[in-house]
Amino acid sequence: MIEITSLTKTMGGKNIIHDFSFNAQPQECLGLFGNDGAGKTTIIKMISGSTTPSSGHIKIFGNDIALNAFQAKKVTGYQPERLLSHGAMSVKAFLGFIAEIRGFRGAEKRKMIDRAVARLELWRILKSPVETLTDGLKRKVAIAQAILHDPSLLLLDEPTEGLNADQKHKVRMLIKSLSDEMTVIVASRAPEELTGICTRALVIADGRLVADTSVPELQRSSRHHQAVTLAADTPLDLLALAVLPGVAGIEEDRETPGTVTVLALPGQIIYPHINALVTQRRWKLNALSLEAGRLDDVVHHMSQEASI
Amino acid sequence: MKLLPVIFKRQLVSYLSAPVTYLSTAVFLTAAAVFGFHSTRLLEVGSADLQGFFQLHPWLYLLLTPVLCTRLWADEPTTGSMEFLKTLPVTRFEIVVGKFLAAWIVSGVALLLTFPIVITVNYFGNPDNTVIASQYLGSWVLAGCYLSVGCFICALTHHRAIIFTVTLCLLLTASGLSSILDAIEHQVPVWLIDRLLSLSPSARFDAIDQGVLALQDSLYFISMIIAFLGATVIVLNVRNG
Repeated sequence: MIEITSLTKTMGGKNIIHDFSFNAQPQECLGLFGNDGAGKTTIIKMISGSTTPSSGHIKIFGNDIALNAFQAKKVTGYQPERLLSHGAMSVKAFLGFIAEIRGFRGAEKRKMIDRAVARLELWRILKSPVETLTDGLKRKVAIAQAILHDPSLLLLDEPTEGLNADQKHKVRMLIKSLSDEMTVIVASRAPEELTGICTRALVIADGRLVADTSVPELQRSSRHHQAVTLAADTPLDLLALAVLPGVAGIEEDRETPGTVTVLALPGQIIYPHINALVTQRRWKLNALSLEAGRLDDVVHHMSQEASI
Repeated sequence: MKLLPVIFKRQLVSYLSAPVTYLSTAVFLTAAAVFGFHSTRLLEVGSADLQGFFQLHPWLYLLLTPVLCTRLWADEPTTGSMEFLKTLPVTRFEIVVGKFLAAWIVSGVALLLTFPIVITVNYFGNPDNTVIASQYLGSWVLAGCYLSVGCFICALTHHRAIIFTVTLCLLLTASGLSSILDAIEHQVPVWLIDRLLSLSPSARFDAIDQGVLALQDSLYFISMIIAFLGATVIVLNVRNG
């Protein structure tokens, strides 16, 4: 169990984190969302032990990080936002070094490295020096070293940034499977990517916690919750859509003509009505989709509200 | 303590994979050979000891130590690998001592590579090789002393240029302390000169250089090493909590 109580960080006379508190249970995947510069990385760094908080307490499975940092670090895996290049060290040598620091020797060490390498599919780059890798690959190496020792708490800082779509999907699946074994805290500026994975969302704006809810709850607060998007080659009868029961408004996509999004009033379900209208009018549609809610919008909106 | 060999190995690999290590070792060896043979007039005098050669060592280390020190912590020029090491379950003591030992071994290897000069004096004359061995040992301890000072400076700042310059200046002062004291001999009371002189590493080294590895002088160097490494650990702990 992770307990964080009234964490504050002051840097250069400026408060970066104000009175930040939350708890995390085992096998929970927490998303730490916010705009750039909101303080996500600072919080992750404080939990990892690379920066010391100005005040407040961090307890990782009963070990206070200020009193018993050594035990806390043993059970924590941390993927930094930027992997510090370790000179001309190859990926294999780097993972070997981390495994030795984590106390593995001989056959056990090889087994742990092999497993981490297999989980992130790093076979082809094992011999390349870390500093010559692309950002995406460096990120994967950083994740590999963080999960090498089966931590109880995994801290990920922008784990999917710089990866291509296919890789992103694989890393997301990995995080999902890891969250069955350990507590995962993911900091991300793109919450949309982590919707199916995080069970809880912490929204941070200007160093303050502005929301601590479940992800579906956060999606429900989006104005796009239960919205329906239609795409057609021929212009649609917008008036007919607008007068349907429960419709709050219609948004036309300026970039792709012929695509409209019909917004629902809070608590209303409009999808069956639209479906019926489409069948009745025999519209020829290219796409018809129902939205759960746009997390990016919600987080962005919350951040802006908080800064006013 | 268990992780000390891990850090040591890692740092040694870092030194061996850096071209700058080989460059500074080469410069060190060239300077040792040139000055050792030339300015001590070894070949002309045909003397059977290496006292003149070892007297140069405090100065020769100025070529090697600052370079080794800049690589101690600064694997990464901007963020410092310390930031990442801090999140791993390693104690500061293990990090500092492991890194220091690796640098000390590298300087020891550089020192051993000056062996041709020993072969030369053995070829020309009949020197006391036990004296030479004790002089080598003394020189190595002196190198360790200089490196521990560099280690301490590395804990204070992350900038390579500052580490290099400050280490160089400090060592220059240390090596030249006796000359400075000579210059102000008439202005300052004698007891002060004596006190300061007893603090000067090069004066201590001269004593060892005579071939007598006195316990007192060795202890001076070893306590210097322990003091500076201790200060490094304390500074790192205070700075990062």
